[in-house]
Amino acid sequence: MSTYIDVASETATTSKAARPTGFGEIMPALLFVGIFFIVPVVALLLRSVFEPVAGFGNYAELLGSATYLKIFANTFIVSGLVTAISLLIGFPVAWTLAIMPTRLASLIFAVLLLSMWTNLLARTYAWMVLLQRTGLINKMLMGMGLINQPLPLVNNLTGVTIGMTYIMLPFIILPLYGVIKKIDPAILQAAALCGANRWQCLTRVLLPLAARGMVAGALMVFVMSLGYYVTPSLLGGTANMMLAELIAQFVQSLVNWGMGGAAALVLLVVTLSLYAVQLRLFGVQNTGGR
Amino acid sequence: MKRTIALAAFAAIMAVSGTAKADTLVFTSWGGTTQDAQKVAWANPFTDKTGIVIAQDGPTDYGKLKAMVEAGQVSWDVVDVEGDYAAQAGKDGLLEKLDFSVIDKSKLDPRFVTDYSVGSFYYSFVIGCNADAVKACPKTWADLFDTTKFPGKRTFYKWSAPGVIEAALLADGVPADKLYPLDLDRAFKKLDTIKSDIIWWSSGAQSQQLLASAEAPFGSLWNGRMTALAASGVKSETSWEQNITAADSLVVPKGAPNSEAAMKFIALATSAQPQADLAKTTGYAPINIDSAKLMDPATAKTLPDQQTASQVNASMAYWAENRDAIGKRWYAWQAK
Repeated sequence: MSTYIDVASETATTSKAARPTGFGEIMPALLFVGIFFIVPVVALLLRSVFEPVAGFGNYAELLGSATYLKIFANTFIVSGLVTAISLLIGFPVAWTLAIMPTRLASLIFAVLLLSMWTNLLARTYAWMVLLQRTGLINKMLMGMGLINQPLPLVNNLTGVTIGMTYIMLPFIILPLYGVIKKIDPAILQAAALCGANRWQCLTRVLLPLAARGMVAGALMVFVMSLGYYVTPSLLGGTANMMLAELIAQFVQSLVNWGMGGAAALVLLVVTLSLYAVQLRLFGVQNTGGR
Repeated sequence: MKRTIALAAFAAIMAVSGTAKADTLVFTSWGGTTQDAQKVAWANPFTDKTGIVIAQDGPTDYGKLKAMVEAGQVSWDVVDVEGDYAAQAGKDGLLEKLDFSVIDKSKLDPRFVTDYSVGSFYYSFVIGCNADAVKACPKTWADLFDTTKFPGKRTFYKWSAPGVIEAALLADGVPADKLYPLDLDRAFKKLDTIKSDIIWWSSGAQSQQLLASAEAPFGSLWNGRMTALAASGVKSETSWEQNITAADSLVVPKGAPNSEAAMKFIALATSAQPQADLAKTTGYAPINIDSAKLMDPATAKTLPDQQTASQVNASMAYWAENRDAIGKRWYAWQAK
């Protein structure tokens, strides 16, 4: 026991002493970020302002065209929709997981994680098969006599929203679970004892206590959705194209890296500012909830 | 003693790396069944003949090709690209000039030969239909654009490339010999009329899936995919009426490490027998004019080169010149 304390205090002292000259210690990390993040981003920035001609022409074209602005708007609408629905489905699931017997909960977690680790392309194709006109869902609904004509569930906004929400759910359930699990059930009992009904317990006790987790999870899902490529590209139609696909078109098909770089940087700036907002509101440590 | 060992080791390394460099060639194509067929029909006989091993890479990515050439770090020796891209990339200085003292172009279909590229195989955009899913199949481009006579979703190629714009103009009544220069305003106006009924396919496999599942029971497909669909047991119909031809091309990126071997490989790949072998497995047509007589007539009959009666040639030269401008407009229209 005493050795542990010694080691711990020693480490504490060294790190304290080293702090003023800590640059050397974080050097590897800085180098890593520099080589794998800063350099490529700067290269991208340079391309976006120097190709095909020097200046801000690419940005002007990107932000001045109704089509591209529509793609920006689509990106935010889809991301917002996916975030809202993920939250609506994710919260009850996280809540149920938190109050359910641990053994059952870990089984459900296993299912959740397994789906997360399954190949993204395979999952997206599976949705394509399920949602299409002659797919399982439409066949079932028609068989039950609920509809006469197959519903257009794929190659449109509906398809993208369903597919992306499915993929994002674990990312909102996990942080929410963390937050809800830490809420003392006694608080809810106390609220009930003081005369709060179920609705009041939810809106005035539980939700405020879980707010941090909700915002953190929602922001994560939103930011991840902004850059999504595979799922919208396969399950969506061209009318609700998202930014990532536009970038892919610029880079792969049109081989116009100036525009591609400009669009990528706009996406990056939006994403980083959202992260900045998150850090500002909740600080680094608290993103997981407390 | 130490020095001797070091020298020997050095020599050995040199020898190994030296031979490795000369004895492999990197071929890049689109993956899937087409590249498998290219491996069997072209790469294997080439290795048997020359001892040069062909490493397969892919899929073809124009962004990557450009990055390699610009950085001077080219790892691809021969690349299968679309014909319009080949023409443009040649103009942009991204490709090596082909050595026609090694490649015999006298037997190659001249439509698909430029200084920088030769055809790889050629295909047609045809009107494909799942005959089980509909009462009647569209026969002409005009039919495919007629949503009253043929209600339902139709599928078209998503990317900006020769094919769909030509089809729209033909459907609108432009004579085949008056297609170029493309009247883009007219084409997009025609496309507007069916826009909400289009489901786009971005890969050959997807086009097959859409047709087979009847998500889109008809559309414009590569003829080879219709051959594959018929082989898989789907009751399908193909209309060759005004089939629109385009070719893939073989190119050598500028600065390719083994350009000499690359020329030999292209020479073999475009010769009669390997072209015939590829055509047999893929349903795409050979670009070597001697290949047809090496195939059994029943197979040869299903290929685009036997459908010349009402064939429309997409102009690679026009596309090379206007690829960027059309592409920009195309994607903007799609997203609108």
